[in-house]
This record gives sequence, C-alpha cells and structure tokens, in this order.
Amino acid sequence: MNYRRMTALLTKETRELVRDPVTIVLAAIMPLIMLFLFGYAINLDVDELALGIYDQDNTPMSRMLVDRFASSPYFEIIEYSHSTHDLERSMQRSQIRAGIVIPSGFSRRVLRNQPAPVQVIIDGGYPVIARLGLAYIDAVVASFPKPQPDLVGVETRVWYNPSLSSITFVVPGLFAVILMAFPPLLTALAIVREKETGSVSQIYASPLHSSEYILGKLLPYASVAFLEILMVILVGFAWFKVPIAGSLPLLFFASLIYVFTTVGIGLLVSSIARTQLAAMLLTLIITLMPSFLFSGFLFPIFTMPFGLQLYSQLFPANYFMEVSRGILLKGLGIEAVIPNLLLLIIYTLVVFIFATCRMKQKVA
Amino acid sequence: MSESITLQAIDLSRRFGQNLAVANISITVPRGTRVGIVGADGAGKTTLLQMLAGILDPSSGSCRVFDYDSRRQSKKIATRIGYMSQGFTLYDRLSVDENLEFFARLHDVTNEQYQLRRNTLLQMAGLTAFTQRPAGQLSGGMRKKLSLCTNLVHEPELLILDEPGLGVDPLSRRQLWEMLDRFRQQEVTTIVATSYMDEAMRCDRVLLLQDGKLLADSTPDSLLEQLKGRVFSISFDSATAPEEVVAKALRRIQGTHSIQRLPDRFRCVTDDAEFEKRVASELRTNITVKPAAPKLEDLFVLHSGEQFGEKPLDLTTLAPKKYNSGVRTENLSIRFGNFTAVDGVSLTVDGGELLALLGPNGAGKTTMIRAFCGLAVIGEGSAVVAGEAVSTTNRNLKRQIGYMSQKFSLYLDMTAAENLAFFANLYGLSGKVAQTAIDWASSVTGLNVPLQTLATELSGAVRQRLALACSILHQPAVLFLDEPTSGIDPISRYRFWDVIRTLVSAGMTVIVTTHYLDEAAYCDRLALMMSGRLISHGTRDELAHSLALAPDTDMETLFLQAVARATSAEQVGGVV
Repeated sequence: MNYRRMTALLTKETRELVRDPVTIVLAAIMPLIMLFLFGYAINLDVDELALGIYDQDNTPMSRMLVDRFASSPYFEIIEYSHSTHDLERSMQRSQIRAGIVIPSGFSRRVLRNQPAPVQVIIDGGYPVIARLGLAYIDAVVASFPKPQPDLVGVETRVWYNPSLSSITFVVPGLFAVILMAFPPLLTALAIVREKETGSVSQIYASPLHSSEYILGKLLPYASVAFLEILMVILVGFAWFKVPIAGSLPLLFFASLIYVFTTVGIGLLVSSIARTQLAAMLLTLIITLMPSFLFSGFLFPIFTMPFGLQLYSQLFPANYFMEVSRGILLKGLGIEAVIPNLLLLIIYTLVVFIFATCRMKQKVA
Repeated sequence: MSESITLQAIDLSRRFGQNLAVANISITVPRGTRVGIVGADGAGKTTLLQMLAGILDPSSGSCRVFDYDSRRQSKKIATRIGYMSQGFTLYDRLSVDENLEFFARLHDVTNEQYQLRRNTLLQMAGLTAFTQRPAGQLSGGMRKKLSLCTNLVHEPELLILDEPGLGVDPLSRRQLWEMLDRFRQQEVTTIVATSYMDEAMRCDRVLLLQDGKLLADSTPDSLLEQLKGRVFSISFDSATAPEEVVAKALRRIQGTHSIQRLPDRFRCVTDDAEFEKRVASELRTNITVKPAAPKLEDLFVLHSGEQFGEKPLDLTTLAPKKYNSGVRTENLSIRFGNFTAVDGVSLTVDGGELLALLGPNGAGKTTMIRAFCGLAVIGEGSAVVAGEAVSTTNRNLKRQIGYMSQKFSLYLDMTAAENLAFFANLYGLSGKVAQTAIDWASSVTGLNVPLQTLATELSGAVRQRLALACSILHQPAVLFLDEPTSGIDPISRYRFWDVIRTLVSAGMTVIVTTHYLDEAAYCDRLALMMSGRLISHGTRDELAHSLALAPDTDMETLFLQAVARATSAEQVGGVV
C-alpha cells in the first residue's frame, strides 16, 4: 500500500467528481427529491375517509350516530343517500370509500335494549385503508352511549409511534433506501466509465495496486454518500419533524458503516459490468429494487413466507433499516443495535474481499 | 535473459472466444531499439501491445519484460514502462498540469523530480502556455502530445505506443516524433503501432501483422523495397479515355492486387513487372502510368495475396435508367428550438456527381441528410432533391432517394435474400419486378455469396455490399452513404468505391457523409461543414488553391487548414 499513489488517485477522482455537474445533481438533488416524493406520497394514514350514509331510521337517535361520524376527523360525509342503489353507484364511481346503512327500527331496538345492527359497506380495493377504516367505524359505533356499559374494556396504547403517523415510519426507512440507491450507482459508474473510455488501461499499466485503486476510487464516493445521509437526516428532522428518540452520534456511526456497504456493492458491480448501461441496470436490480421490497421499508418482513424471509436477509438495507428505525423510533442504544451492525460489517468485508479478488487489473 | 534484451516473447497467442486475435508470435527486442508494428485494422496490433505491456494475459506462450513474467509480475513491469493506448488516455476535466501530476505520482515520481521534468516536457510539447486548460479543451494534436508527456514523466525504459499518430495533424505528428527521437538518445526502447509509412520508416525494425500472424520482421527499407515497382498511378484524359473504359481495361490485367479508383486517377498495386507496358497495350489512348509513392496499406494489400482481378464485377447490366438530377439547396436552415443545426447552406450537387460532406461531429451533416430524406422539418430556405421539393410530406421524394449506413440498415437475424426482399417490398416492388431488381442490385454490387446466409454470419465487407444492394433496389436518383467503409479491409474498400464510381458515371448522384478523410479522397467534390455552416466547397485542387496550399496537399492537411481558418474567422467576430 503506497500512500502517495493512493492519494494521487483520490485527488484525481475528487477533482473529476466536483467538476461533473451530472454527478453533483445525482448525488445532491436526487436523494432530496426522493425524500420529498416518498415522504409525501407514501401515506398509509386514514383521515377524511369519504363516507356515504343511508339513514332509513331517521330518528333523533340515528341522527345522533350520524353526527358522531360527521364530527370525527377521520371521516368526511360526502353524501346522504336515499337508497342502497345510490350508495352502490357512488361506491362504483369511487366517490365514497365506505357506506353506512342505519336500518329502520334502529332507535326502537336500542331503546328496548335489543341488539341494533348497523350495516357497513367498505371498498376493499385498498386492503390497508379498508382495514383501518373498519376499525375506526367500529370505534365510533362502540363509543355510542349504551344503557348498559360493557364490563370488559380494552385500553390501547401505541408505542414508538404513538400518533401512528406514516411519516415517522417512512422517513427513517428512506435513509436505508436512498443510501442504497445512489452511492452504489455513482461508484459503479465512476469505475465503469473509465473502462468504457479506455483510460483505465493506463492505470492498469501503472504501478498502482488493486488495494490502492479501490481505496482511491471509493473514498471520494463514500464521503459523498456520508454527506448525503447527513443531508437526508437533517431534512427529515427539520422538515418532516421526525422525532429522534435515540442517540444521533450512534446513528451517524451506523451510517458510516452502511456507507461502506453501499459503495462496496457499487465496486462489486463495476467489477462485473463492462458498460455504463449494464452497470446502471445491474445496480438498480440488486440495490434499489430489493431495498424497496425486501428491506421492511413498506412491507414487514416478519409477515413474509419463510423462504422470502431468508431471501430478504441477502440485502443489507434490511439490517440498516432495523438499526435506523431502532435508534430513531425506539431510542435503542448501542447494545441493542450491535447484532445488526456486526452483520453489516461482515457483509461489507465479504463484498470487498469478493470485489478485490475480481479486480484483476487486466484488460480482459 | 541478458541485460541488453528488454523484451522477449515466445509463442505468444491470444484468443477471444472463437477468434484468434494473435497467433504464435515470437520476438526479441534488444535494449534501445525502436520497433514498429504495422498491419491492417483488426490484424491484432492492439492485442499484441497489451500483452507486451502486461495488461492482457496471453492464452498461451509467454512474455518476459526486463526478465519479469508478464502474467504474474505485471506490476513490476509497470514501474518501468510507459503504455499509451489508442484513443482517450487523458482526463478531460483535469487541467494539463493536473493530468501530468496525476500520472507522475502514480508512477512514484518525487516532487523534486517532477518539477524538473514537468518544465522540460511541457516545453518540448509546446504546452507551457496551456497548463491551466482542461484537457478536454485541447486540440487533438495537443492531447496526443500531453498523453506522451504523461508516459514520459517517469522516464520509462520501455515505451509502448498504440497508433500515436492517429487523428493528429501533421505538424503535431512531427513534434510527437521529435520528442520520441530525443528520448531515444537515452536508450529508451520503443514499440509503436502505426498506420503511417513515414512513422514506420523511423523504426529500426518493422513487424508486419496480418490476421494475428507475424508475416514479416524486417527493416523498413526492405519493406519499401518490396513495394518498389509495384505501385502505380494511372491518370487519364476523360475526353479521349472515359473513366469507365479505363476501369474495365485495368480489371482485365492479371496479377493486379488492387485498383483504387480516385476522381482523377487510378492507383494500382500489382505483381506484374511489365505493368506499364500491359496498360499501354490494353488502352491505346491518352493515359499516363507513373510509379506512385507507396503507402503501408499497399503492403497489406500485397501480402493479403488476394487479387483484384479474380472476382471481376459484373457491371454490364447497369444503368437501365437515365439519371440526371442532383441536389440543390438555397439558404437552407434547420432549427431545433434555439439550436441551429443547419445554418443557411446553399449547395448545388449536379446529377452524376460524387460529393463528400465532411465535418467534425455535430457539424450538421446528419441533420441535413435527414432533411433531404424528408425526415427533418426545414426552418428556412428550400431544398430540391432529384427534382422533388424536399418536405416531410412529399411522398414522391422517398422513391427518388436511397440511404445506406453500414451499421443500421440491415436486419441481422434475416438472411441476405430476406433482407433484399424486405427492402424491395418497402419500395413497393413485388413479384417479377422485385426479382429483377434484386438480381440487378446483387450483380451490380458483386454480391456473390449464397443468399440464404444469415446477415449476421456475413463478413463486414459482404454485409456492406448487401446494404448497398438493398439501398439501390429501386434505382434511386440520389444515394446517401453514411460512413460506408469504416472498418473494412483495404481491398473490399477499393471494390466498394469501384462500384460507387461506376454508379456515378452512369448518372447516379451520390452524397457521402463522413469524418474519415480517407473516404473523402474518392469523391469528386468536397463540402466542409462546421457548426451548421458550409465553410468551403469545391474539388480538392480548388480547396487547396483557396487555402494557398500546394495542389497535391494531403486530405488531412487540407481539412485541418480549412477548419483552422473557419475557427479563427469565428473568433474574430463571426465574419466569414
């Protein structure tokens, strides 16, 4: 390992990087765009659910029930129908997501202390929304004053994300996804570009060793990646008001490890691909796609079939996702995140060893 | 291996899949010698150089450089060599200084050494005034000189250069070799691949490669000796000896390796010692046969063993139709938003003329051809092609024009016959008419291969003939060719231009767009474009005259001078 040779390459890479407007945009703007897009787009919360009501009973008591829906922030009554047919048509046109039919005789039954069923129709096209909507409707109906209170009650308390807001859950996950999307791409492109133009043969024909080459190429891109994560955390905190329950320095430390995992993957891709196009596709397939689907970003891994759970362990976004959410939401300390950090370190080492072996410094 | 031997290769071979790029080459290079490697495109020059530099492992055989094995000790070799690859070797976003410093540090040159050598090298290369300029903004010649500097800064004992003169103006090329001569005095061993005769002549030894095999290892003088009395230039007076008559007569002469058909003369490489007498007896008219200055390409032609006369082209069926209409534009401008791709071009190409449209990338050549084909909307001015007004809606236009680009015009997964049938169909030919057209086009282009072969299995040269056949099926009045002969061996190239010039003499108008100056040499007139404008046009002699150059000035100098003049006019303030 020759320090002078390595820093020569490092200086050259840094200069090329800061003078390339495309790289700058890709490195600085794209993560922010992604953060804002996903921060706003991925919203699994239910509020102002469009509701249609068909009140057949039309008594003070049934109107009291309707008022409860009207005053709830979770619902917005779009229409008062006069037939089940109207309700059905509105549902088909997606004007309403749920319909409530209060049958005639509702108040009579309540007053006689008989069971008084209320019909709920819900659009199951979006299962998550449907399930949440049902639960909210249940809660409204259940809180309706009864002559005889229930003996057994449930007192719920949500931990880590008490307001159950999507942002709090999505943004810490986005850290893992964004870092998996851009740094490997930038790294792979930087190396493959030189292969494509042919200038790399000059480097092969120089005394520069593989380890010097790898460090000199990676350090600038690792720094860019680390700056990216700082920027994304800052914006997540300042703009999206994501709470930080745990220690920020610990999160930075974990990010640093993860940064090396991601640029290492870029290195591996560049040792396989010969053209920039191939590098781009390969990076997308092995980084971006799995980090969306198999990292627990949106779809929890513990509900997947066992085979897919094993498969998801192949992708490092998974480990960092646990660490990032653990620190930010649960306030976990070092002792709780160390297993995942160790996994990341091992993963990174394996990727680097593999890439170094493939980096033969020969033209073909 | 003794101290005095720099490099020794034994039985060196390299395979890429099925293809044997370099086959059993053995060479020994003593210290301080300069070895030239010559050969046609695809002869294996680059592969051989890469193996000698230790950056490509041989499939079999061995190579030792300074007594290190090129497979296992390539990094040991790397500290003592300079390797300059073909094409891009610099970093465009780094300045001249930054590029040089990067390579110096990469090769463990200390700061004191660097400061000393930097000044000497930059001065030698004439780059002292440009140290802060990004390499991407240097001219081709300056880039090559800087590349050489980056390979000399660590004072290597062995210098391996892959076509250093390619794409470099003659003046810079001379300076490049002056630098090499200076370093030669310090006993630097040099191995250089080249396609220029004058560069080969500067070497102690020349290796001639063909299809990966070492054909000859001799002094440059003995190579030149082989060509002595073999290369002739035949000029004729078209009034008494029409071009076509001379061409037919030359094709009849046995032992001729190549007939290169230029606008005002023919150039032949022959085995026949009595060539001059033979020509005189075949043609009793007013022609002059003179020995011509030999080129390296002549050597490849001579050694390929192929004879031009062996496969005479059947051109008797040509010209069933009389063409007489060319292309005429008046103040033609084409814009894409704010960008002006073609800027006020007025150009007249007569019927039966062969015109080369030259210019660097982005000059507007392709846009203009697209407009002629009815594929681009004309902003201002007008154009008439083969008597048809050019517009995107004129359907008659398409019947009058043919277009061929070597890369894109064929369907590789179809057979030659299917390709021909498809294009015949496209031009609205069917049944007997189509078959006649296919037969005619195949015979004109000398397409003498089984037509049931898949296009992908055809060699580049045959594929090119097939593409030409496809584009002239409907006997267009105007034919557009886009870099038609890039990457084709010399003899096939001569054959192709023979066909084209025959079509032209029958009255077809042909416009060639290219940035290979070699292709322009076959054309009657040249039109030079830059930044959308037509900067000059005329015959080669007319251009030379307007630039105050000698009439026989080579194409390269002509082109570079014209570009230089246009550039300086632009800088003065847009005054042309």
